[in-house]
Amino acid sequence: MWMKDEDKLVEEVLQGKHSSFELLLQPYRQGFLKLAYRITGDREEAQEICQDALLKIFKYLKSFKKDRSFKTWSYKVLMNTSYDYLREKKKFKRVIESQRNAPVYEVSQVEQRVWKSQMKEKIQSMLDILSPKEKAVFLLRDSEGLSVRDVSLVLGCSQISVRTHLSRARQKIIAYFEKNHLQKIREGKS
Amino acid sequence: MKCQKIKRLLPLLAGSELPESQISSVRAHLEGCLQCQREYEKYTFLVGQTRKWLAEDKVGWEEQEWRETVQSVVNQGSRKRTSLVPWPFPRAWAYTLMAGVMLLLTILIVRPSFVKQIGLTPRYVNVVGADKQEVVSMTMVSKETGLKIVWFFNKNFNLEENE
Repeated sequence: MWMKDEDKLVEEVLQGKHSSFELLLQPYRQGFLKLAYRITGDREEAQEICQDALLKIFKYLKSFKKDRSFKTWSYKVLMNTSYDYLREKKKFKRVIESQRNAPVYEVSQVEQRVWKSQMKEKIQSMLDILSPKEKAVFLLRDSEGLSVRDVSLVLGCSQISVRTHLSRARQKIIAYFEKNHLQKIREGKS
Repeated sequence: MKCQKIKRLLPLLAGSELPESQISSVRAHLEGCLQCQREYEKYTFLVGQTRKWLAEDKVGWEEQEWRETVQSVVNQGSRKRTSLVPWPFPRAWAYTLMAGVMLLLTILIVRPSFVKQIGLTPRYVNVVGADKQEVVSMTMVSKETGLKIVWFFNKNFNLEENE
């Protein structure tokens, strides 16, 4: 049902009805910002990336093939824009370095209240231990709820590769939490 | 299947990403392996917890902010580009023309002999007997005074001494 509406909205935007553009992107607006924010770790940069991605979607909508899913196409544009942005600002190096030197917190350092109040740091520290590809796969699947097939279409890789990266990402996360504070979460202190 | 291989598949089973064909064999292994069962429980918990955290994460657009962003995107995107040189034909023609000119210039620079091959050699070279000519003269006449200066060159284009 939604797909039909989406096709209709794409057609309307192409015919010059610009108000339909906002409706077309309405279901993805929060997901886009969240994803860009998780990749960059900065809200303002995430907004900038989203704006760039939206502009690309608007400009290249005529090249969008209707037999494909608009959702995966738009996420692909967003992911490419995010990585272009990081590359341009030469942040890639810093991000990779920060991943290599992922912060390892001692149990004693992590107070019970951290789990309640500092959601942002908790998620970001979890993501910082992942490689860029693992992070992308993990976020698209667990945060955005895309299927393995859709993730593979967004990232332009095979489904096997998606599963491998996802498995590795979860193994890293569990190792990280086991080392630090899985017990606390299990005890219901989250 | 061995535990080592199963352990790689457990994160996917916990997140429902494992292909149908592998689910039954992994489940069969879990029934007989306590260690892998514990591992699976951990992954199930982790997947549920991380998904919950990510869903609770309140990063989002303010309504006003979103509207302004979309409006600015639409304004930027629908702005037509003005060209510096008016070109009434399709843009592809201009690109083709430019490519042709670039190709010709490249050929002229890389292989000047090509000019001869395609018959673009300057006409004076084809004058009958020009290669046998021993002396060439050049005459300059002043418009104001009518003074004539005649220079003679040998075939190597060296100025001939007038004896």
